Amino acid sequence: MSAVASYDLELAAVRKVYDNHVVAVSNFDLRVDRGEFISFVGPSGCGKTTTLRMIAGFEAITSGDILIRDQRINDLPAERRPTSTIFQNFALFPHMTVRKNVEYGLAVKRMGAAERKRRVDGILEKFELTDVADRKTNGLSGGQRQRVALARGLVVEPQILLLDEPLGALDANLRKSIQNELKLLQRNLGITFIFVTHAQSEALVLSDRIVVMNRGEVEQVSPPIELYTRPKTPFVARFIGRNTIIDGTLAGVERGRGLVDTAYGRFTGVVNDPKLEIGTAASLVVPSEAIDIHAPTAPREPYAGNAITGRVLASDVVAHTRYLSLVLPDERELAVESHVSKYEEEFSDTVLICWSPDEGTIIAQGA
Amino acid sequence: MENQPALRGALGLYTVIFITFLYAPFIVLAILSFQSGPEGGPQFPIIHWSIYWYKHLFGLTPPSRVAPLPIGDALIRSLILAFATMVTSTLLGTLTAQAFRRRFTGSGLVFYLVVLGMMVPGVLVGLGVALVSTYLGVDRSWWGTTFLVHVVYTFPFAFLVMLAVLNRFDRSVEEAAWALGVPPARTFRKITFPLIFPGVLSAMLFAFTLSYDEFPRTLFAAGGDLTLPLAIYGTFSVEIHPNIFAFGVLTTLFSFAILAVYGLLMAMSVRRARRVAIQEEIA
Repeated sequence: MSAVASYDLELAAVRKVYDNHVVAVSNFDLRVDRGEFISFVGPSGCGKTTTLRMIAGFEAITSGDILIRDQRINDLPAERRPTSTIFQNFALFPHMTVRKNVEYGLAVKRMGAAERKRRVDGILEKFELTDVADRKTNGLSGGQRQRVALARGLVVEPQILLLDEPLGALDANLRKSIQNELKLLQRNLGITFIFVTHAQSEALVLSDRIVVMNRGEVEQVSPPIELYTRPKTPFVARFIGRNTIIDGTLAGVERGRGLVDTAYGRFTGVVNDPKLEIGTAASLVVPSEAIDIHAPTAPREPYAGNAITGRVLASDVVAHTRYLSLVLPDERELAVESHVSKYEEEFSDTVLICWSPDEGTIIAQGA
Repeated sequence: MENQPALRGALGLYTVIFITFLYAPFIVLAILSFQSGPEGGPQFPIIHWSIYWYKHLFGLTPPSRVAPLPIGDALIRSLILAFATMVTSTLLGTLTAQAFRRRFTGSGLVFYLVVLGMMVPGVLVGLGVALVSTYLGVDRSWWGTTFLVHVVYTFPFAFLVMLAVLNRFDRSVEEAAWALGVPPARTFRKITFPLIFPGVLSAMLFAFTLSYDEFPRTLFAAGGDLTLPLAIYGTFSVEIHPNIFAFGVLTTLFSFAILAVYGLLMAMSVRRARRVAIQEEIA
């Protein structure tokens, strides 16, 4: 590690305003180390694809800076940026064969025919496309088209690979296997991947870090496990995983743990917002996996009082997971996912749901 | 609608009548072109069937009181004019449609101004060009003023065809090329143009046929050298003989031949795509 910070990709206060004054992206800050797998997730229209397209050079940025390896690329046209893009519909050239598609990026570079052929053959081999090399792309299967798109994008040896929902056009089974291949590929190549998806499961499995976006703003940038267990904003708490959110007021902080007064009593959790002040509105976020289920008479002490009584509406077991629907004392319905082994006792109408203080996260309440 | 036989019958009859009206004049014309000559006139009944008037057209008959059709030069002129108009209008139409893919300031206004060009009555345009050219002291000619008028007339058609084609065009294919390091101009030549080529063919077809038989604008804009439609019109004012019908049949066959070439080119590009798909299914 050198003392001078040098990033593969850096976005500083990037902002995009369309001609009709719609703000697509604002205050986008991100620093990406070489070889990181970064995902942009968020609902439709959150600005994730727009940001990717600004990095690729397909959209101009309104203000801010984009740097690739310390070189400012704001005004560099798309064809001169050291990036490759994989599109959701693959955007293969339908009038060319697989080989021509893959070769095309090299054909515009000054490169000897022999060297070009060597590289194309190599990458076709690597992506198991040698057999279909002389076919047009229209007849290929979804998985093959995907591999052609990857081969075409990677043969030019980009510094950064940009992927715009590349698994969206594939069926569920294929998606799973290509997901794994993609991860392996990125590890082997060691280049930075920026991956846009609206499927959080993909992002959670693939990424080193995930950028959650909402309404053009970055909500949180975290590794998957942290995003899942320690959301920073109410939006992230609702968007990622299946969290139970209980609103209340921050009553105090003791040894790094916060106390929240809620309609169901006082609960303990980890404060995940340094700016949160005592007496202000706060939310307690509990992942459904963190919740244990007990008989109503069970002791509450091991959970530091983090327990609520609920009436069971429905209970289903699928594999090792129990899906519970509960009704809380104030008639609010609550969905809980729990590992089957966590509940050994007989089931009754009423259960006690408990969670350990470490597994609850306290954040500022949303507007 | 499937269980309303009366309505279906009525619509079917309507379609038959419509198509009859569409083709009946040409069929009557075609039949009369086989009238005997030189004594047979442009009316029924057919005295006896012959190809006299076709021979007459090419000067293969002994001289008679019916003069040969004075259309040889006009035909050449019209073909050259239609070809030049086709190339120019398709080029301009494609470039303009390309510009309209991005909204620019005033794009709405420019769009309507361009498209209104095809709504303006042709006679007025022709008259206007004649007046302006006289005012400016420019001689009217088939290759000058007429060419200009034909381009102005056919350009909106080519533009609309190309606009429709480019609207359906998948932009990400171009972006994929840029991302691979291909500059925009080369991307257009090597990626965009081959993919929109069927649309370009359609625009060319439109421009050619519209120019080839354009009459009202040409009437005023042309100088002394006539185009084909003007020359044919000129023969009407003397006396009509079946030789003009024979010529009508030949020029229609020529149009069909162009259509066939167009259809063939289209089918080839479609079939090429399909053949690959079928191979994949068998494999």
